[in-house]
Amino acid sequence: MKVPRVPKVLWCLGCVWCQLLLSAGPAWAQEAPELRAHRFVLDGGVAWSGGYPIGDVDAELRSNATGSTPPAFTLFSASSEIGGAASAVARIGFTLTSRVMLEGGASFGMPHVLTDISRDTETTPQALEGEALNQYVIDGALVWHLPLRLGARLRPFVVGGAGYLRQLHEERTMVETGQIYYGGIGARYWFRGGSGTARSFGLRTDLRANVRRGGIDFENKARVFPSVLAGLFISL
Amino acid sequence: MRRAAGLVLTAVLIAASASPVGAYLKLGAPVDGRVVDVTWKAPVRYFVSEANAGTASASDLNGAIARATATWQAVASATVRFEYQGMTAAQPGMVDGRTTLGFLDRPDLDRVLGATSFLIDTTDGEIVEADVFFNSRFAWSVSPQGTPGRVDLESVALHELGHLLGLSHSALGETELTGNGGRRVIGSGSVMFPIAMSAGTIADRVLQADDIAGISDLYPAEGEVASTGGLTGRVTKNGTGLLGAHVVALNPETGALVGNFSLNGNGEFAIVRLEPGPYIIRVEPLDDADVDSFFSTAIDVNFRVTYAPRMVVAPRGGSSAPVEIKVVAK
Repeated sequence: MKVPRVPKVLWCLGCVWCQLLLSAGPAWAQEAPELRAHRFVLDGGVAWSGGYPIGDVDAELRSNATGSTPPAFTLFSASSEIGGAASAVARIGFTLTSRVMLEGGASFGMPHVLTDISRDTETTPQALEGEALNQYVIDGALVWHLPLRLGARLRPFVVGGAGYLRQLHEERTMVETGQIYYGGIGARYWFRGGSGTARSFGLRTDLRANVRRGGIDFENKARVFPSVLAGLFISL
Repeated sequence: MRRAAGLVLTAVLIAASASPVGAYLKLGAPVDGRVVDVTWKAPVRYFVSEANAGTASASDLNGAIARATATWQAVASATVRFEYQGMTAAQPGMVDGRTTLGFLDRPDLDRVLGATSFLIDTTDGEIVEADVFFNSRFAWSVSPQGTPGRVDLESVALHELGHLLGLSHSALGETELTGNGGRRVIGSGSVMFPIAMSAGTIADRVLQADDIAGISDLYPAEGEVASTGGLTGRVTKNGTGLLGAHVVALNPETGALVGNFSLNGNGEFAIVRLEPGPYIIRVEPLDDADVDSFFSTAIDVNFRVTYAPRMVVAPRGGSSAPVEIKVVAK
């Protein structure tokens, strides 16, 4: 199985988050900023998802050898992946408590199906320009704000959820659907508010590991890819 | 009233080099100024000639033909029906209203393993009669495992029956030139490739995706048209359409390969009866068999292998928007 290509920026962000969490000490919840309980929280921003392979295939001909199952003759090979892409994200959450929030969201992006051709018997290896997809994800998640104090305005959380994936091919004549499961860490940084008693707004970032099943995949395998989200939130 | 007219087409399978035929993936006949598919409108009722060859009997041939007809009939996405009518003293090639398959001694055709001839109703393209001969000059094998140095009779019967049903040659194969000016197959993606595998091989007893797409196009099973898709496009060179480019579609999920040609001066092509989904499209010059195995007119083979710039989706029940594939001279 191929390991998905993870951009350096994601590795760097991951390392920063891990360092922050490791260096943070436990604290009382009231010492860290928090959301108001039983309120809606709106998020909007952008996400960047890493690419992942979707299958390799050999274009094989029947070779001219004796026996009922002669070895194949490879005309060419193709290796395909969904390229990394940005997407627009909008979310709405409801705080069950000041620490726990249920949220749902939707995103839209246009990743490309990229294909590399190799081992062609008559031409050199090459990369196809790729097919642009319209990709939609609708998901729901549980967010738990950790009782850790990273600063007067910063609070980490962990998030886990699942979503419905819809990928529409470039000509819009075929739709492929699947599921996405994810878990990750993140943090909110309050520009204003955070006392847990009033409206507030600030910045939210997430770093996630995603498992995708279904959708466009020529080997019908589960694929793992990273994503990072950044955006603004407002707690009503 | 039907009007039967003349011997219209002859398709051949050749041991080492190709001979002229005038058709493409499917055989066609001109009807009212347009070319229509040549097909059977009823089950193919055939006789087997009683003549023996030196290395195989008429009974051997009858068995090989029975297995080959069963293979074509087993294609679930097509409705092909054969009905064996018995042995006959008649030889293939006689216009007698009977479809006859049998051995024939043709020393003049020293590279031709077999050939199919047709009698076609030129008002609607229906095949009225078709005969197949197997050249008794060759050493034939009916062994289940094949026989070194002998040509597998069932494989050749499967190919010729493809012609008999209305399929022409497929160009889905790779060859190399041999010392005697012929060609040797190094890889084949279709039983309907015009050049036979080497003597002793038996792999061509099994149809490939290209054969199945072709027969499903001619005789689609119920629901087949609605459940499959097609690819359309245009091959151009220096901005103008290119006739005779070989276009191959690869399904990256199944590995199935199906080919066709750009069939007019605009370079337009269509590949149909495909499993819906995205396809990688590869265009190559027709340089792995004699051009006249496929085309009766001159075609341009001076261009490089080229891929469509992106995968193209064959939508269920329809065809893709045309994709242009620009090739350049070698």
